[in-house]
Amino acid sequence: MDPARFLPLTPVVFEIMLALAAGERHGYEIMQDVERRTDGRIVLHPGTLYRALSRLLDQGLIEEIDARPAADRDDERRRYYRVSALGRAVARAEVERLASQVSAARRAFRGDRA
Amino acid sequence: MRMAAVYRQLLRAYPRAFRERFADGMQQAFRHRYTEAVRRGRLAAALFLLRTLADIAFNAAAARLNARERTPMNWRSLGSDARHAARMFLRNPVFTALAVAALALGIGANTAIFTIVNGVLLKPLPYLDPGGLVMVWSTNAIEHRDRDVVAPLDFLDYRKASAFADLQAAYSFIVGAALTTAAGSEQVVTTAVTPGMFEMLGRTPALGRTFTPADVQTAVIVSHRFWRSHLGGDADALGRVLTIADQPRTVIGVMPADFVFPYKSMLGPSGFSRSHDVDAWLPLAFVAGNSRATGVAMLTRSVRFLSVVGRLKPGATVTQANAEIAGIARQLATTYPESNRTVGASVVPLHEQAVGAMRPALVLLLAGVGFVLLMACVNLANLLLARSGVRQREMAVRSALGADRRRLIAQTLVETVLLALMGGGVAIGVVNASMGALLAMAPADMPRLGEVHADATVIGYTFLLSLVTGIAIGVVPAVAASRAELQTALKSGGRGSTAGRGQRRLRSALVIAEVALAVVLTLGAGLLLRSFLSVLAVDPGFQSDRLLTLQIAVPQKYQTPAHRLALYRDLFTRLESIPGVQSAGGTTRLPLGSTNVTTRIGVEGSDKPPAAWPEVEFRRAVHDYFETMGIPVLRGRSFTAADNAEAPPVVVVNQTMARQLFADADPVGKRIRMSPTSPWNTIVGVIGDVRHSGLEAPAAPEMYISYLQGPPTNPFIVIRTTGDPAALAATVRGELRAVDKEIAAYDIRPMTQVRADSVSQRRFVLLLVAAFGALALVMAAVGVYGVMALIVTERTCEIGIRLALGAQPGSVLRLVVGQGVTLAAIGIALGVAASFAVTPLLTTQLFGIRPLDPATMALVPALLMAIAALACYLPARRAMRIDPVDALRA
Repeated sequence: MDPARFLPLTPVVFEIMLALAAGERHGYEIMQDVERRTDGRIVLHPGTLYRALSRLLDQGLIEEIDARPAADRDDERRRYYRVSALGRAVARAEVERLASQVSAARRAFRGDRA
Repeated sequence: MRMAAVYRQLLRAYPRAFRERFADGMQQAFRHRYTEAVRRGRLAAALFLLRTLADIAFNAAAARLNARERTPMNWRSLGSDARHAARMFLRNPVFTALAVAALALGIGANTAIFTIVNGVLLKPLPYLDPGGLVMVWSTNAIEHRDRDVVAPLDFLDYRKASAFADLQAAYSFIVGAALTTAAGSEQVVTTAVTPGMFEMLGRTPALGRTFTPADVQTAVIVSHRFWRSHLGGDADALGRVLTIADQPRTVIGVMPADFVFPYKSMLGPSGFSRSHDVDAWLPLAFVAGNSRATGVAMLTRSVRFLSVVGRLKPGATVTQANAEIAGIARQLATTYPESNRTVGASVVPLHEQAVGAMRPALVLLLAGVGFVLLMACVNLANLLLARSGVRQREMAVRSALGADRRRLIAQTLVETVLLALMGGGVAIGVVNASMGALLAMAPADMPRLGEVHADATVIGYTFLLSLVTGIAIGVVPAVAASRAELQTALKSGGRGSTAGRGQRRLRSALVIAEVALAVVLTLGAGLLLRSFLSVLAVDPGFQSDRLLTLQIAVPQKYQTPAHRLALYRDLFTRLESIPGVQSAGGTTRLPLGSTNVTTRIGVEGSDKPPAAWPEVEFRRAVHDYFETMGIPVLRGRSFTAADNAEAPPVVVVNQTMARQLFADADPVGKRIRMSPTSPWNTIVGVIGDVRHSGLEAPAAPEMYISYLQGPPTNPFIVIRTTGDPAALAATVRGELRAVDKEIAAYDIRPMTQVRADSVSQRRFVLLLVAAFGALALVMAAVGVYGVMALIVTERTCEIGIRLALGAQPGSVLRLVVGQGVTLAAIGIALGVAASFAVTPLLTTQLFGIRPLDPATMALVPALLMAIAALACYLPARRAMRIDPVDALRA
């Protein structure tokens, strides 16, 4: 499937993909990771997070995994998610899109005082 | 955890499949987040719950739409309902415009008040992790002061408490200081803060740096506003030298535009009464000796002048900090009984200190405006109910074409939600445009007014409110319309407008509810109005008309008392020679316009130890102060020119002090002193009581000394005029400049303005609640009129028959008015009963009357009854004029 048809990603979806880039996480871990990484600028509420996860699962950009962490760190009610191969391709396409926007913006505003 | 159970129930708003898949994870995330929010304080928890509600409302609706998206029929039907609603709106533009206007009014009023509540109460203070910030106060149980300023040595001891991560920040009063420029002197508002205060608040300057201990007496950090107005908003301003209070200081930093510190409510009982944003922060250092220099505080335990802010350690609670600090205060009371015997200490969350005093008034306004919206909802529901009668045929046809009941309800709800969303949209626009005017009405001392603006929270609130309002006004008409009997409706042909008995009953019930709501709201407004009039009727103890007031800052070159006396002699000679000036005087604390300073006094012949001496307010009287203010001398005499530095010290006391200290004995001739080592002062006169702390606060014991025996540095000047005092302001400024151009004069206001400003918060609340009350009366009148007019239309035929059979028009009038008045009477009775439960909540806002004030309780229902009768009279008059023949033909 052509990754471009999923672009552009919303900021929330992109942050979730970033949170999952390093490996599988459960929902609350994703929320914490996003908040920490954005210095509290993006705070995901449960409804927003899980509706986005639901959409990403339906689109096949992420997948739920059965593997569980060690028993002492596990909670059986938790579900773990990771980025699918398609998801990785889409995320990469989004990064390229953003990068080209940034370089276009740099060219356009060169000379302006920051 | 109870909230977790509530959240689990709320998750039912999501589609079942979604719930089964994600509910566990969502609950777990909610529990973690809620625990964090609770740790940050009650306000943070409340805000979190509000956001969670919005999160559920929005995402559950979206998830449901998503679920339906998979069955194209439903998605399409919602769209077609919206298109149908839009066509209906266009077909009935007048109805649509009126409905949107009514909703915009109700939602807009709510949005406006919520915008203020959000800016003042809900938004976190503009500091880093503001939930961890607290204030430490001295307490004095004997003098009944629970948030008093702290002595420097006590402050240093409190810093040993382990509950604090940081207890470095202390600041002195906000004071006006003269900024010397080439053009003369002007006032800047300054406060001295300990270095480290900015770091503790987690705020960095927009330009430059914060204080280091080496900056004492040499540096200044300025506000963004001051930087723009006085330093040209230029980055090169750093390094410029400003002369503040005759002291050259280098600008080392400029704070960001949104930085405010301290809020006026964070000052103790001293400091400016009026709201003043700080222009310049000076570094504060402690010294062992006595010094009059700005930014230097002597290390003392007996003089209290510091406000203290601290940050709690992570995990530490206000209760723990309170217990610990109170323990330290108890130790100090034992170790230093002379100064600390009656002094305790307490810890208050910073947010509570900054805005807590505004909470009752704002909650009251929110409740009032909620009532207005509720009434708008009831009115519109009634109107829609009437229309649902008209639209029964249309519903019946749709039903015949296969629409089930859920579809019919959905269609009506789509209509009302769209109406409410349009109302909400208009409301946002109107509120944005009118917020400036509303804030201009707000009292100047309301904290955080500068932070009030419509942000994402306000827009989210308005969206949610519009959604809920749309559903609320639609439910009753939707259910009623969906019950349309197919056969009856289709058979009735053109007469589809007649409502059934059930629907009529429903409409009557709505009118009763509306009148009851109006009673509660107007009773509240009536009580506030009566309170306001009671406050205005209070005699302040002086004559406020034709009196001009101002404060001056005398340059430091007038260091000795003799210098200052010479200056004042020249000043008052000039002021009194201005045409239109009757007399002039001055004092150190202006009634209703500034705060108070107290001192302990010992009475000759009393064996009380100094720590148990009574505390009284202390002022200086300058020149002809009592005469100019119109404060009567009740016994003895006022000060004279003979009461100078060479003469024995004398004082004048007020009536309350005379009564408290000497009961029925004549105080004139008795002697008092302010410390065990100071000389005795003879009381030479007793003056009338003056309400200094506000019209609502009774007079406190107070004493005056003559300026000739201790000339002050920054006195308030009062000038009694023969005409309009404001007209003399420019001349007075000119005379001051003629005396010495370095004298800074500020706060020039007529005393009537000072008096009006002292009740501005009460006036603000009253104006808004009165506006809500007036709206409620109009809505109740419209509601009663609308229902009665509809009843007359529906009963045209019946009334025609009655008239044809010989009924007199008068009896028809009685029938219609009687029916309407009965509904209103039931509503009024219910409203009065509800008021018994609600009005006691107003107690904090009332003055001079009880929550169940009999006059208000009688007048308001009578007024409403008169309005209801008038609203019934108009349809009744139409009923009287019905032509029986026309009615029977129709």
